[in-house]
Amino acid sequence: MLKGQKRENMPTDSKVNGIHHRTGAPVVNASTIGEVIAVTSGDGVLRLFQADRDSLAFAIHEGVILSMARESRSWLTGGEDGRFLRVSMEGEVEEIASFGSKWVDCVAADGEHFACSSGKMVYVWSPDRSQPELLEHQSTIGGLAFNTKRKQLAASHYGGVTIWTRRGNRWTKSVLAYKGYHSSVTFSPDGKFVVSTMQENAVHGWRLSDSADFAMSPYPAKINSIAWAGNNPYLVTSGANEVVCWPFKGKDGPMGKYPICVAERKQIVSCVEGFPNVNALLAGFHDGTVVLTEIKHESIPVVLRDAKDVEVTAIAVTETGSDLLIGDAEGEILWFKMQ
Amino acid sequence: MNMNAQVPVTVLTGFLGAGKTTLLNRILTEQHGRRYAVIVNEFGEEGIDNDLVVDVDEEVFEMNNGCICCTVRGDLIRILSGLMKRADKLDAIIVETTGLADPAPVAQTFFVDQEVADHTKLDAIVTIVDAVHLELQLDEHHEAEEQIAFADVVLLNKTDLVDPAILGRVEARIKKINPYAKIRRTTSCTLPLDEILGLDAFSLDRITEFEPDFLESDHDHEHDDDITSISLTSETALDYDKFEEWFSTLLRTRGQNILRSKGILDFQGMEKRYVFQGVHMLMDGSPMDDWPTGGRRASKIVFIGRDLESMRLQEGFDACKVA
Repeated sequence: MLKGQKRENMPTDSKVNGIHHRTGAPVVNASTIGEVIAVTSGDGVLRLFQADRDSLAFAIHEGVILSMARESRSWLTGGEDGRFLRVSMEGEVEEIASFGSKWVDCVAADGEHFACSSGKMVYVWSPDRSQPELLEHQSTIGGLAFNTKRKQLAASHYGGVTIWTRRGNRWTKSVLAYKGYHSSVTFSPDGKFVVSTMQENAVHGWRLSDSADFAMSPYPAKINSIAWAGNNPYLVTSGANEVVCWPFKGKDGPMGKYPICVAERKQIVSCVEGFPNVNALLAGFHDGTVVLTEIKHESIPVVLRDAKDVEVTAIAVTETGSDLLIGDAEGEILWFKMQ
Repeated sequence: MNMNAQVPVTVLTGFLGAGKTTLLNRILTEQHGRRYAVIVNEFGEEGIDNDLVVDVDEEVFEMNNGCICCTVRGDLIRILSGLMKRADKLDAIIVETTGLADPAPVAQTFFVDQEVADHTKLDAIVTIVDAVHLELQLDEHHEAEEQIAFADVVLLNKTDLVDPAILGRVEARIKKINPYAKIRRTTSCTLPLDEILGLDAFSLDRITEFEPDFLESDHDHEHDDDITSISLTSETALDYDKFEEWFSTLLRTRGQNILRSKGILDFQGMEKRYVFQGVHMLMDGSPMDDWPTGGRRASKIVFIGRDLESMRLQEGFDACKVA
């Protein structure tokens, strides 16, 4: 047994097809590798879930696990304790770096490189170097993402998004400027667009070929969760009382097109995730409701979990779509077998 | 455990050397049985080592929303959001600002960011001033004046190092800038923590409680270029539509010079007291509780800011009275 590892015997109760775990700390993130889902919480614990097995819990950070990203067979995590860690699918923990009293706000990986941010600095590790390269920015980093199609790394911050492109063995910089704070960033699956969420209740996008930019707004609330879903693909977003799905097909992406809006309810959407291999998405709401819906006009959502007055903070699905995990702000984790 | 309760946030301002670190160390080391997280900036006077201390770079962001003086503390939005994910419940959060910081962006963060407002609430702005150096600092740095103007409580510290005549002069100067702040004389920041924490000074339903003579007192204002205050009263009820029109135009056009505003208003046809609180162009107001039975109904509004004389406040306010 590794230090901090324990096989969990938490109080659970079985609902229809579901197993409930109560952890006592807000769920922060969930991430899938194959048929295993890793969940991180505000008490520094990472839990591994898999169908028909006991969940495993590993106390890896002191305090909140702020960020998480997947590699091919491991997860990267960043914490309030200033540590940047790698956790294998077996729960083995490797400390990559430690930043003392500064938080590790963001982490990202593309299979070849991996990176984290602490304050204004991004640290990138490459296979041909033993030490990380330091990339400095004008303000604290809100989001980090790799573009696997173009060997690029995006860092979002106040005033826009910086795109770092790997040329030879160094990173060269270009800035996509747009006023306001950009709190997270992601590349489209084809690598042609970069999109950021903003403090100002908006999503902003750029086409990388010519830096043409477009605003996707307004939203009634801040957008804390975005994901790529469906066959278009769509950028699916929280922050409204329905899931707003922006089409990114073709060379113009969503420019000049209307979004598809699904799963309308009275509450604001707090968490979204694509459902693998089908044109559907999962949406969690501020009141705890979770629905599954097709991404098409007038689709009828299926309620997977009823309201319980606690915000949904994480949703993940296994790669085959057989099992589903939901986490909330009060620390409840629901493992759910899809029929 | 109620995870939905708002955690109070106290903002601690003051110049370098005034005693912020002394006070923070007291808060972190005293046996008070409470859990306080402290957010300090990298230019702090000396290091404080504690697992509940978060080290940040102060970052003031302009919002891209057309409001020119709408600035927020971006680092605070990020850190507060992170702290709210902790498993253990915090009793309070204390934010230390850099010596020369303008308190407005910190206060405005709580008006602008809905998530911050949902999970935390601005409790009070506490400004520590050094009795020995304050006069010189006020003459040389406009930030010293702003920190006093924004304060709910001013800790007049190091009183043992100046003679009583000077102390009286310094205190008068503080009152001239901000007659509504409570002044606490201290040496080495020694005072009960409940005089600076848990004051609820920014809560609308505490405005009358925090300032018991709010409706009674009337402070004269001085005519000069410095920060001053003006209070306006009316025994005649006000017309809501006229007030709304005048006040929103005032904040929109002159909000940069109005640092803080608050008021209790008697609107014709409204049974409850209307209470509001503002920072620069942002304000938060709503009808609160009933007027005391048998007591007089009156409106009072106070402004702290620069160049208030040119805003023709009395004239604008008088025009809102029901004819």
